[in-house]
Amino acid sequence: MTVPLLEVTHLNKRFAGLVAVNDVSFTLDAGEIAGILGPNGAGKTTLFNLLTGFLAHDAGSVRFEGHDLGGSLPHQIVNRGLARTFQLCRPFAGLSVIENVMVACLAPRVRRRERPERRAREIVDAVGLAHRADTAVETLPYGDLRRLEIARALATRPRLLLLDEPFAGLGAGEIAPLSDLIRRLHAAEGLTILLIEHRLREFMQLVSRVIAMDFGRIIASGTPGEIVRHPRVIEAYIGRAAENLTSGGAHGAA
Amino acid sequence: MLSILVYGAVTSAIYAMLAVGFTLIFGVAGVLNLAHGAFYGLGAYAAYVLTARLGWPLFPAAITAVAAVALFGVAVERWLIRPLRHSALAVLMITIAVGLLFEQAMYLLFGSEARNVPAFINATWGFAGLDIGGQRLLTLVVGAAIILTLWLFIQGTRLGAAILALSQDREGALYVGIPADRIYAVVMAISAAIAAAAGVLTAPFLTVQPTMDLLPMIKAFSIVIVGGLGSIPGSILAALLLGYSETIVAYAISPAWTEIVSLVAVLLTLILRPAGLLGKRAAF
Amino acid sequence: MVGDRMRGRQAAGMIVILAALAGLPLFVRSDYFLGILSVCFIYGIWATSWDFMSGLTGRENFGHALFIGAGAYTAAFLNGKLGTSPWWGLPAGGLAAGLISLVIGVPTLRLRGPYFALAMLAAATIMQRLTLIFWQYSGGEEGIPGLDPMFETKTAIYYLCLCGFVGITALLLLFARSPWGLILRSIRGDEAASQAAGIDVTFHKIAALVVSACCAGIGGVLYAHYQEAVTPDVFSVTLSITIIIMVYVGGIGTLYGPAVGAVLLALLPELLRGLGQYRLWVYSLVLIFILFFAPGGLIAPLWRRVAAGRP
Repeated sequence: MTVPLLEVTHLNKRFAGLVAVNDVSFTLDAGEIAGILGPNGAGKTTLFNLLTGFLAHDAGSVRFEGHDLGGSLPHQIVNRGLARTFQLCRPFAGLSVIENVMVACLAPRVRRRERPERRAREIVDAVGLAHRADTAVETLPYGDLRRLEIARALATRPRLLLLDEPFAGLGAGEIAPLSDLIRRLHAAEGLTILLIEHRLREFMQLVSRVIAMDFGRIIASGTPGEIVRHPRVIEAYIGRAAENLTSGGAHGAA
Repeated sequence: MLSILVYGAVTSAIYAMLAVGFTLIFGVAGVLNLAHGAFYGLGAYAAYVLTARLGWPLFPAAITAVAAVALFGVAVERWLIRPLRHSALAVLMITIAVGLLFEQAMYLLFGSEARNVPAFINATWGFAGLDIGGQRLLTLVVGAAIILTLWLFIQGTRLGAAILALSQDREGALYVGIPADRIYAVVMAISAAIAAAAGVLTAPFLTVQPTMDLLPMIKAFSIVIVGGLGSIPGSILAALLLGYSETIVAYAISPAWTEIVSLVAVLLTLILRPAGLLGKRAAF
Repeated sequence: MVGDRMRGRQAAGMIVILAALAGLPLFVRSDYFLGILSVCFIYGIWATSWDFMSGLTGRENFGHALFIGAGAYTAAFLNGKLGTSPWWGLPAGGLAAGLISLVIGVPTLRLRGPYFALAMLAAATIMQRLTLIFWQYSGGEEGIPGLDPMFETKTAIYYLCLCGFVGITALLLLFARSPWGLILRSIRGDEAASQAAGIDVTFHKIAALVVSACCAGIGGVLYAHYQEAVTPDVFSVTLSITIIIMVYVGGIGTLYGPAVGAVLLALLPELLRGLGQYRLWVYSLVLIFILFFAPGGLIAPLWRRVAAGRP
């Protein structure tokens, strides 16, 4: 058997007594598009932060291409080929669109292989921002900021791309093109993608495998079809929804 | 041995008074107040003007000085800091400007020479072969009392609970409707008042001159970093630690080396335990 | 293209200003005035080097005087105590400042939060105290007098300071507009996002600080030999803050703005005779004015307007 692209074993993270990620294990094979599903506070973003080195895990291990990432810093992990986007767009204020992408092209991983200027142009074209290349990011509409966020991660030549709620805050008309973009990238660059998303319909169409989380644990894993019928997922989602209805939404605010 | 114990305690009390206010306004409002030393200096100068120039009796003068500086702190917060709160750097710069204006104003009004403030207590206590100035003992006692009162206030009152909530989770506190602007003003008043009290108490035995604001403020920074930014118990612990280690260094090696103690402590803390002794948030 | 015309105007404007500064000693024969301008250029070096690290990466340095003092005292020890040629001071002073910047930068710049700003302020102040306490070596309040000037005539010193100022500003501008400058500006924009883009932000911040410190140290060496003495004032907080105010007036993060702003602001109190005593009043009020009414500074926005041909 070949080594999986990403191998997460018994990962644990606690904050001041609260267990945010609890004994999480899963693997990703090269070329997959997989998704993580779960209610707010299930530990999805924490998991991303652990995988990308923005947080240090308390126990367990993350292996990427057979390499232990424990103790690696975020930029080292990116330069191994594991990139991420943020849930809230975080463009570099004061820089233009092309400059934003250029920064990622200056990472050692990219610089070794090609000229940063060319790579930046290529990526800006690929995500459909060519006409806005010289725009200051402060004036960019939200949908374009989302594209920029993906462009910047993509520019680092990742083998695995983690997308944290790529559709968050987008209108109905903006989702389909972005969804297409992700699909195209997957096909063209042979990219492996792991994404978090709340928009269930788009999510289920995009991914081939779903990992469902609740209270920091993986509660189920399988194809989208299997997951929507899984009793524990239904309990986590529908049960909560019913609770919300009866208690007037108090759960969401707490 | 005994003298180290007592002088260390006095130094620690002064440091704690300075550091607690500094860490409080940082923890609650996120304001890194580089005018904190100016509050301390203003307290001392106010005591000087009221007693030596206007001939007021000591205790009313001390109370008035502290109250005036507290009001000044509120004014700075209201008219200079609040309009700039959108930018942390602008807040930092405006507090620097206040500190600079304090020094310049004192030069202009009182000249650069050191001024004398009469001691509250002239007696010295001698025991076990040790003479300690009454003013220093008073500083120790009043300083400890102030910090204890602050602690009780924060732990025991509704306003204190609101202050604590803001310092622990600002966004959460704003979300549940805590009136942040009013509390920032209150905290600024408390912070300025405690710094001024330190100035008033130490004025009789330390030098009162325009540049007096800087060094105590540097000590306050150092203590706050060692103790953990925003943590009051941390800054008290660090004040004790620094106060005693400086006293010990002064006795064991030479007073000249005390200045290095805080710098080394800061660098060591940042290398070994960046969040500080009792810092709750990781600094990374 | 509008951009090209703008760049052309900017280049033309630069050349005119530089030519005027280079030709000035031919017309102004006052040693006093040339001396004042030399100091203004040294302030220009300090402000530009401050802006390179702090303006570009957004990490404010409240103790730039630490590097200035390190350079100045290194020069004074070498020339005043060991009797070496003043020219050795330039590399040695730059190096000393660079080393000190590593001591402060390595532990503090890997952290988020105000640690770097506070540590710089504390370190500069404590260094100033140390020069007073260890007076046997540092000369205490009096400092170290009797240094050799770099050149015999004020005109030659003027040109030396002008060259240092223009050279360092040009070098730092070059860095700022290179890919490295882009990386530094991305750190100012969003440090975590910069890490997610594969950038080793700690390394780049420290590298920028070392470059900034070396330049400031070299400025300190020039200053020490211009004064033919050093005093503990080169470590003072007042100096650090004066430099920051100059950067603000110029326009933070633009480098050329602070360069010009520093020269003008250093010149201002000298031109308005009798104002020298109230220098810091003027500076603090200017700072408050800028914070409230012109957050982008004065010089850089003005320069951009002139270059764009707008009134």
